[in-house]
Amino acid sequence: MSTQSLAKYVRSRNRPGASGFRGSGAFYAFISPWLIGTVLLTLFPLGYALWISFTNWDGIAPNQNWIGLKNYTDALSDPRMWASLQRTGLLALAVVPVTICGGLALALLLNEKVHWRSGLRMLVYLPAIVPPVAATLTWKLLFDRDSGAINGVTAIFGADAVSWMSGNTVFVVLLVVMLWGIGAGVLINLAALQDVPAELHEAARLDGANAFTAFWHVTLPSISPVLLFQVITTTIGVLQTFVPALLLSPANGPAAITAVPEANRVFMVDVYAQYFAYSKYGYASAMLWLFFLVILVVTIITFKIGGRTVFYAVDPSKEGKEG
Amino acid sequence: MTLTSHRPQTESQAALPEPPIRQSRERKNPVAFVILLVVCAILFLPVLWLLLTALKSPQQLASDPITWIPTQPQVQNFIDATMILPFWAYAANSLFLSTVTGVLTTVSSALVGYGFARLNGKGKKVLFGILIAMMMTPPIITLIPTYLLFAKVGLVGTYWPWVLWGMAGAPYLIFLYRQFFAQLPRELEEAAILDGCGRLRIFVQIFLPLSKPVIITAFVLSFNGVWGDFIAPQLLLNQDNTTLAVAITTGYVNSQGFPVNNLLAAGAVLYVLPVLIMFFFVQRSYVRGFATSGMK
Repeated sequence: MSTQSLAKYVRSRNRPGASGFRGSGAFYAFISPWLIGTVLLTLFPLGYALWISFTNWDGIAPNQNWIGLKNYTDALSDPRMWASLQRTGLLALAVVPVTICGGLALALLLNEKVHWRSGLRMLVYLPAIVPPVAATLTWKLLFDRDSGAINGVTAIFGADAVSWMSGNTVFVVLLVVMLWGIGAGVLINLAALQDVPAELHEAARLDGANAFTAFWHVTLPSISPVLLFQVITTTIGVLQTFVPALLLSPANGPAAITAVPEANRVFMVDVYAQYFAYSKYGYASAMLWLFFLVILVVTIITFKIGGRTVFYAVDPSKEGKEG
Repeated sequence: MTLTSHRPQTESQAALPEPPIRQSRERKNPVAFVILLVVCAILFLPVLWLLLTALKSPQQLASDPITWIPTQPQVQNFIDATMILPFWAYAANSLFLSTVTGVLTTVSSALVGYGFARLNGKGKKVLFGILIAMMMTPPIITLIPTYLLFAKVGLVGTYWPWVLWGMAGAPYLIFLYRQFFAQLPRELEEAAILDGCGRLRIFVQIFLPLSKPVIITAFVLSFNGVWGDFIAPQLLLNQDNTTLAVAITTGYVNSQGFPVNNLLAAGAVLYVLPVLIMFFFVQRSYVRGFATSGMK
């Protein structure tokens, strides 16, 4: 132990209220699994991808030739990349608001006193726990041209069978798969709703607030941090949509990636194809880093906008200046 | 994501705030009930269709107009679904990977969460900021370069990546633990400190037993994460040691390469079942895990 940390140790021992533990040692020992893991399994790979993105590596050649920013300028001038980025953004714009508002609405309803409440809770949450592979395959069966229930229903009304899996309609199927998980946030929302102090509602009612004003001025501010957290995680989740888009392909196995219909070529599908179908490792890594930056910017903007409207209650559990 | 329907009621947990899940005898809201019933029906219909498809014969699948309810349910489909491909071998792979990663993640995340909640060290604030940033880092972005690196060091085709991921903990679960541990009273450890207990002992003997709901939540989330994951096994494993998630997407085809939808549906049902059963059993503690760690 260095003299510095020893001095700190002595000081912390004498400070009233200090828990009296040796400097940083124990803290670092406890967080070391995560610290080492983050460096080796996240930061190092990210750095590696950054390095590859400046080369024209094809994944096989022993040498990686430095080509500077060429991959980035190529990507940015490629209309295909902009198209897939646009598709991904559209998906997020459609899925995130519906999921957040729908999830909140469902949580509010489930917070009411209703019959079979725990059973209904499980049913709402059920699609959200179905693994993405199974969820996609399920909807693929529902939207099947000949044996699917969707065309079965429209046939009753005399409509012709639609080949959902090709053309632009496959985007509808992707949207439906994503929206099916609308209950994902319900548990967290419910936990948050149950934390809203009852006295606040009581006070609002005494002040003559109706159900809506009470919701707007009491419930919503109280749970806003949880909602902001969900907006951010859902946005990040939707932006990296990959498995449903890949599996809604007419082909199976490794060939699926190049057979994904145009309408469903979201950003990660493009990146994956560049890596593993076209072996453009350098170019794909540049796309990956561009996407990383896009997600970062979107997250920061959401934080900035959301942060202004989010109401943080004083949290006694947070020590000192933090929080 | 696992839970049991029993209510964990130990002396220690009685001190924690009770999430008011129970229904009281008050008047029920009929409007909310009806809306929920309709929404739940819509959300459940796809699952029902999956089950119905799994029970159809090839003739019923091909019929025009479509067969809604299979007249002679083909229970045999479920057996066939496990024979057309080495289903149980893949299921064993999935189970092994999910359990190993689940256990390791649960333990390591608890350790790290404890560190962030109860210990102090230089740069803690910065590191906590990095943890939050890691929560926001898209996993798919790091996965492909990680795959390239693992390929270099010869870990592709092995289960070691899952062990490493498990040991590193998961930022979201670390955060969950941290929130939970941070709100426990200081007195808990003070007596133990005076008695000269080490940090590890305090963690194992005092904090871990208190955090049962969070432990269950963490295990269920990480187990299901691996069970449901498609991309990592697709990238990192071979056809013979891959997981069920990958196998069911490619295995249910006939000799001409066309999908066999009834067996595919049966296989998908069998694949989802463990997740659903687990969730059913641990639901209560799962909700508690969120409620007691003050996800806010």
